[in-house]
Amino acid sequence: MEDDASGAVLLKKDQTSSYEETDLVEKDHPTFVEEEVLQVKDGHGSPEKTVLAAKEKPTSTEETLKVEEKVLKQYTFCVFQEESHLGVLQSLIDKELSEPYSIYTYRYFVYNWPDLCFFALDGGRYVGVIVCKLESILGEFLQGYIAMLAVDVEYRKRGIGRALSEMAIDAMAMKNAAMIVLETELTNKPALALYQSLGFIRERRLLRYYMNGVDAFRLKLMLHDSRDLPLSED
Amino acid sequence: MNGSSVAEPPDFQAATAAAAAAARASSSEQDEWIVSECGFLDPEVQRTMRSGSAAEDITQYPMHGWVDVTREFHDACAELQPGELAQDMLFGLFEAMSAIEIMDPKMDVGMGFDKQDLPPPSFEAAIATGAIKLDDLTPSELIGIYDALFSCLVSWLEGNSMDQVLFTCLYLHAPSQIKDNALRVFCTAVRNLIVVIKNIIAVAAVNEEEDFQLYGNSALLAAEKAQPAAVYSSLKDVEDQLVRKCKKLTATEDWMAVVHRLRFMRHLFQVIYHVEQMASNDTVDDKVDIYKILLVASEMLPGIRNTLDRGTQPEKGSEAPNPMGFSPRIHDRSQPPAFPRSIKIRDRPASYQFLEEMISRFKYACKVTKYKDYYSALNFFIEYSKKSGQCILSRSVLQSLFSANMRMAHGKLPMKQFLRYSVQNFNSPPVLNAKHAVAADPKVQQHLENFFRYCINMNTFTQFIRICGFNRARQRDKLARLIEIFDPIQVDAARLDSMMNQLANERAMEGNEPLATALRHSTHFSTWVLYNCFRAMLIFLMSGFELELYAVHEFLYIYWYPYEFLIGFLVSALTRTENILLAQEEYADHQSKIQTGGGGASKNRKAAKPKKNKKQQRPYRAEIVFYHALLSLCGGMYKAMGALTKDGRVRLPLSKFDNEEIRYNRRFLPFAALTSPPPVSYAEFKNIREHMMRPSVEDLYTYAAKHFDQARNVLESIQNPDQEMLDLLQIARTNFVVMNVLARGHQKEVKRQPEFDFSKHSYFPIIKLK
Repeated sequence: MEDDASGAVLLKKDQTSSYEETDLVEKDHPTFVEEEVLQVKDGHGSPEKTVLAAKEKPTSTEETLKVEEKVLKQYTFCVFQEESHLGVLQSLIDKELSEPYSIYTYRYFVYNWPDLCFFALDGGRYVGVIVCKLESILGEFLQGYIAMLAVDVEYRKRGIGRALSEMAIDAMAMKNAAMIVLETELTNKPALALYQSLGFIRERRLLRYYMNGVDAFRLKLMLHDSRDLPLSED
Repeated sequence: MNGSSVAEPPDFQAATAAAAAAARASSSEQDEWIVSECGFLDPEVQRTMRSGSAAEDITQYPMHGWVDVTREFHDACAELQPGELAQDMLFGLFEAMSAIEIMDPKMDVGMGFDKQDLPPPSFEAAIATGAIKLDDLTPSELIGIYDALFSCLVSWLEGNSMDQVLFTCLYLHAPSQIKDNALRVFCTAVRNLIVVIKNIIAVAAVNEEEDFQLYGNSALLAAEKAQPAAVYSSLKDVEDQLVRKCKKLTATEDWMAVVHRLRFMRHLFQVIYHVEQMASNDTVDDKVDIYKILLVASEMLPGIRNTLDRGTQPEKGSEAPNPMGFSPRIHDRSQPPAFPRSIKIRDRPASYQFLEEMISRFKYACKVTKYKDYYSALNFFIEYSKKSGQCILSRSVLQSLFSANMRMAHGKLPMKQFLRYSVQNFNSPPVLNAKHAVAADPKVQQHLENFFRYCINMNTFTQFIRICGFNRARQRDKLARLIEIFDPIQVDAARLDSMMNQLANERAMEGNEPLATALRHSTHFSTWVLYNCFRAMLIFLMSGFELELYAVHEFLYIYWYPYEFLIGFLVSALTRTENILLAQEEYADHQSKIQTGGGGASKNRKAAKPKKNKKQQRPYRAEIVFYHALLSLCGGMYKAMGALTKDGRVRLPLSKFDNEEIRYNRRFLPFAALTSPPPVSYAEFKNIREHMMRPSVEDLYTYAAKHFDQARNVLESIQNPDQEMLDLLQIARTNFVVMNVLARGHQKEVKRQPEFDFSKHSYFPIIKLK
């Protein structure tokens, strides 16, 4: 899909491959925390925000995973194709945000990195989206950035957010990203739990980051173990 | 990377060029566009460009040389396919993100207005319509304005823009035009206070964008010259006038409430102005006792808070903090183009609460003058940051007081003298003792000079103290970088130590035994440098808990490092130092005994002295004991996390992307640059953890309980414990019980992750079973 976004590529994601157990089995994972819209700050400072999601309900992980695998099979996934997707993207994300994203914010991401914008579909209905970018920092390393993630409120807690995140991280890893970063609100517990379970660490706390005065965390997932990677990009 | 459907239109430049040509054609009658008319420029720049002309009339909608290009624009657009974008070299997709969509209420400030809304009144307009009074204000009106202005001041200190809080008060725009003395003097004081506070914060430079907005409408501020030196006396004069007036009245309470506010302002202003002078000026009247003035100011506050209801109150539903004198939206149009940010002005009771706490923080900051050496000053800064870290002005005032005090205590080269004095005070290297014969040795002096100059050039020590002035989140980022630059200083200190020992050998060869003994000191300089480095490392690591950066599954390696290494290093640095001091003391005793020989009277005096000295030889006892408690707490947490993990009660990342080794390396990255202590590899950690986790879960819980019990014992042995010790004691006791409960197999079937409650202490949680 590198240079040919015109052919519709619908990805069927086989979820079984997405979950690798660590040797220490997690016995009490809260159900799939479904993040909802993760807040983002675009590259140069207009702050945006994320809205949250669902409550945790403790069930066994294996059970959850099985249920999710089954459920996830009914969804299809695709990357950004064309202008009409912009409206879909906007409608999925806009309603969750208290702070403004202009149409140009969406354009910036999806027209520069159309292959890093994934949609989840239930039949013909778009139910989730993730928007990312990949850029080099300090002229050396490729840094992936998850700008937005949203799942339709009726479709939360089914593993769609996690599936989208894994898809996006995979895609960025394939392109040799050294790390993936994002920001999310201190109060967005579901998002924090999702990213923590994916292996992200909370690297920095950003005081009063959002326009509403709420703090954010900068989360980072290191894909390469390089001691040369900068501690902080700013 | 763009797919074909999202590629740039091949001829977008043609399209934009056509539009531009059309625009040019239709505007041919006009002169060239003037940049400022395009409305793109920063209002500050626009103002400057217009300087010379009268101040901008912000009540009038701007009259620009607009040209209607709607048709041309639509024609040009018609050439584009859906998804095609016209871009420019200097204005691409990235820049476009800053665009504000006109008519979108979330972005367009103007959407807050109704068509019928009148423009916000300016100072002149408000006078013309009679909306504000310039003379004969009633006490109630004065109190309302004063209280509202204090609220604005507090809101500004909390990070809001000065334009959107303070300068919504029209009276501040031109106080000289106010005829009422009490109002004019107060408003002038506020304007001067703004200038003085800005200076203090700018000079202290421990602010970040999230703390404070240094910039505001400078044209407005410059309109009347600041004369801070005159503020105190004019406030005093107007107070006296009002007091005289009261003598002729029967009901004086309202007027006295006005007087109290003026008096509070006078004292607050006096303190803040004096601090500013101290920071920027060598010749400051040091007879001014800030602490006493602060006491007087805080005494005024209860009376003020009791009379809040005597002032006019903000109208329900209005954004203005007071009915008269404020025009909340007056600067909406002169703000830099950005999304509308909601401004919250603190209410009056909360604002006075803030001021009261700020005054206590200032009083606390005054104590910094007691600390004349690095060790105690750093301790003070660390404590101050914990207690007062949230207020930018308080943090800046401490920086000012400290540097002024250092200048007074350490003279012309304050920092170098200060560090020299501090090392001497910390572990007393004989070469730093001016009375010692070796102090005259030029070679020795040269080495010392080089070392201290290097410390200053590297800025490491100064930087550590400054970092403590930043907000808590930034402190951690900055400490990470500071730790890295400790390494060259460590190397230099070690070199100096070995140089001294080498010189000692040379002197001994020459037969100069006293000089040789003085030089043969163990590791004074490197111990001092290492001790400070370890402290930075410990704060860095533990602050991650306070900032909630660590996931529960990471607790294990975070607590492990101080338990296994860091706290032990700190204790041994301090113990070594105490031993050195002890040895020196004994040597000095020995020397003086040889010299004095006998003599009854002097012998008696001598006999009394050693007792006092004994006490001084253990200056770090309290700190060492405290580290012992921390060590046990870290050990307890480390083993508790081991037990909980083995017991299946810790949620672990469940992802092919997760890699513990990478996480571990990332978390300890700032330490990797150091030669000493040498970095501990993940493999080493893993071995140690494996060994630790070998026993049964029950045994592991029991071991953790033992550590918490040790911590309890240590903490209970401390005499006159402060609140922090008591909190830690409670944590140790509770966790001891919880570990024992788990060791006995409680909730064996329900493998739920416990709750880690950090509300008692920011470094150590109470472990709670749900």
